[in-house]
Amino acid sequence: MKRLIAGTAPFAFSVAGRAALLTSVIGAGLLAATAGANAQSIRVWSGYPELAPFYEHVAEGMKAEYPDIDVTVEAIALREHERRVALGITSGESAEVLELATSIAARYLENGLLATPPADVTAFVKDPANFGAYFVDAASYDGTVYGVPLFRGQSALYYNTEMLAAAGLDGPPTTMAEFDSYSDALTQRDGNGNPTVSGWSLRLSGGGAGITEKFWINMFQHGGEILVPAGEGKWKANLASDAGVAALAQYLGNLYTTKTVTVEMPADAEAFEREQTAMFIRESWVIGDIAAKAPGLSYATTTLPRGSIVNPVQLYVAGEGEQADAAWKFALATQKPENLLWLLDNVGWLPNRTGLDYSDILAKTPALEAFVSYPDSYEFFSTPAIGPIDEVMTRTASALEAAFANPDLAGDNDAIRSYLEGVDGEINSLLSREGLLGE
Amino acid sequence: MLKRRRLIFSLLAIAPVIAIFGYVRIFPIGEILRLSLHKWDILSKNKPFIGLANFQELLGDRLFQEALLNTSIIAFGVLLITVPLAMILAALIFYRTRSRFAGFYETTIFIPHVVSLVPAAMAWKWIFDARLGPLNALLSVFGIEPQAWLFDPTLSLISVIILCSWQALGYAVLIYLVGFKNLSKSLYEAAKLDGASGFQSFWHLSIPLLKPITLYVGVATLVSAFNVYAQVYVLASDAQGAPGRQVRVIVLDMLENTFRNYRVGYAASEAVVLLVIVLILTFIQFSLLREKGARK
Repeated sequence: MKRLIAGTAPFAFSVAGRAALLTSVIGAGLLAATAGANAQSIRVWSGYPELAPFYEHVAEGMKAEYPDIDVTVEAIALREHERRVALGITSGESAEVLELATSIAARYLENGLLATPPADVTAFVKDPANFGAYFVDAASYDGTVYGVPLFRGQSALYYNTEMLAAAGLDGPPTTMAEFDSYSDALTQRDGNGNPTVSGWSLRLSGGGAGITEKFWINMFQHGGEILVPAGEGKWKANLASDAGVAALAQYLGNLYTTKTVTVEMPADAEAFEREQTAMFIRESWVIGDIAAKAPGLSYATTTLPRGSIVNPVQLYVAGEGEQADAAWKFALATQKPENLLWLLDNVGWLPNRTGLDYSDILAKTPALEAFVSYPDSYEFFSTPAIGPIDEVMTRTASALEAAFANPDLAGDNDAIRSYLEGVDGEINSLLSREGLLGE
Repeated sequence: MLKRRRLIFSLLAIAPVIAIFGYVRIFPIGEILRLSLHKWDILSKNKPFIGLANFQELLGDRLFQEALLNTSIIAFGVLLITVPLAMILAALIFYRTRSRFAGFYETTIFIPHVVSLVPAAMAWKWIFDARLGPLNALLSVFGIEPQAWLFDPTLSLISVIILCSWQALGYAVLIYLVGFKNLSKSLYEAAKLDGASGFQSFWHLSIPLLKPITLYVGVATLVSAFNVYAQVYVLASDAQGAPGRQVRVIVLDMLENTFRNYRVGYAASEAVVLLVIVLILTFIQFSLLREKGARK
């Protein structure tokens, strides 16, 4: 007030005052800059929304050791995740930590768009005490490790124990023929004979690669695969084989002969949780989903007749410098046994790291047993890590969806084989275009 | 001199707009045309020139043909439903209800156009639900068997057409209402004196006089319907739980080729085909509906 009366500007300062202010501003700026230089903000992009709590749990656990690393987790649906990775990496705007399946990462590795890890990360991944050779290969490209193996998709049969008991069935089916008889026995129908609860939920519609993946799993139980190796790095389609015909005949038989399932019926985990289906094949994450959405559900799991698909997922890093270093630290932090056990216990995805003690979790959640304990003869397969695998899966899905909608194919194995030969031709021409078709 | 200065001023004034338009509209179209002649996987720095190979492949591509057929059926279905229905509704609102309720009717019909697409499509997904949907419940009142709207190949297309028409109708009605309001009353009074009925006036006066409006509504509806994507994505996408039969349309196929199959050049060739189709159809519509002597 005195200054106002004296006629000076209300916020005028003396020379010394201005110097002090300037020093404070510069000091604060330097402090902020220094803090900025030390603090690292990294983003984690995941294609599985249910994994967000896991990554947040890992980030929280890192705070004590790395208080300056801030982690932001952005988990969205898988297809959208794949799109943003494609756009993010090419525009240089991607997150630092990227969660990618081997088959998806292959494209980026071919183009040198993902960072090579520091020596300690490579040594950790290559250590046989940490990972089996299969997972090291899945995380590598041309012999160089690029990713940190995290979890895998592996399938088992989920079945509603109350429904099996009500149908007079002692235990789960153990052969593909039994899948048919069980499905028939478990189907609940209305007065007109239309199914109201499906015996065995099959992936029949919705487009996308999921249809093909589920079909591939069933075809594998019949003794074959959709793509088979045909020379060094080459492949060829194998749908029109006996196994492919048997698998499609089984789908069509359930749809149109025994009518245990329809295209319109609710399907997948949601249907199982609502007791709208008695059996279905899915990965271990469903256990966590059931615990959250249908805790009272009476169910159990069992291994499949022949073996399971394994889709390994790794953490990769994009970028370089201090942020990349922080990202690798995060990737390694996920590998702490307590974090991986937390992942299995709370989310349900299977960690790839060996030597973990699951006994406490298995005692609490017996349904996980089918995913971690299996017979010695149990076989595993993966979709080939080739560039156009998604296109193969999507095109095959479209053809399978059309077959599922065609009742004329049911019961006619010659027509099924002929149809599948056409699909094989389309897949082979696609492989040929990419230089991947073998003899 | 003054004239020249005015011209320079006008050019300078319009230059920023032209520059922005060129950058956000013309440049991408040129880029799409260029990319369609190259093979590019979005990740690689190499974009080898392959001439018309992408277009050649399109000719034999089963999924593209399916997408093109589906898109064309949807676009013409929406056009055939929207344009006549919008004209009739606009006429009813304008002639029959020039009362205090006119605003209410206009708003009611326009609301679907401004409602966010995703929740609207979700609501329609429930309406079309084979087991719990109200549409099948309504049909059962008339003794019609429940239909698998989102799973049957034909019905799923009809479902998309219904949803798109429902959305497009409000805007079309609004444009027609503007047209009706600008029609000369004296012509109708003369027709009335000559003994023309309301329907005759509508048929012989309104429809011909509204040709420019019909042209605009038709072109806008057709172009918009050829770009159908989100409606299909929500009604029947590849989300888990099998929500419905996937109705493959061109934009969906383009997105899939770009971001899942990493074939940007190929997707660009699809975009070029879509562009050419829309241009041809627009030209045909202009030719059919342009009034004689309009160019003079």
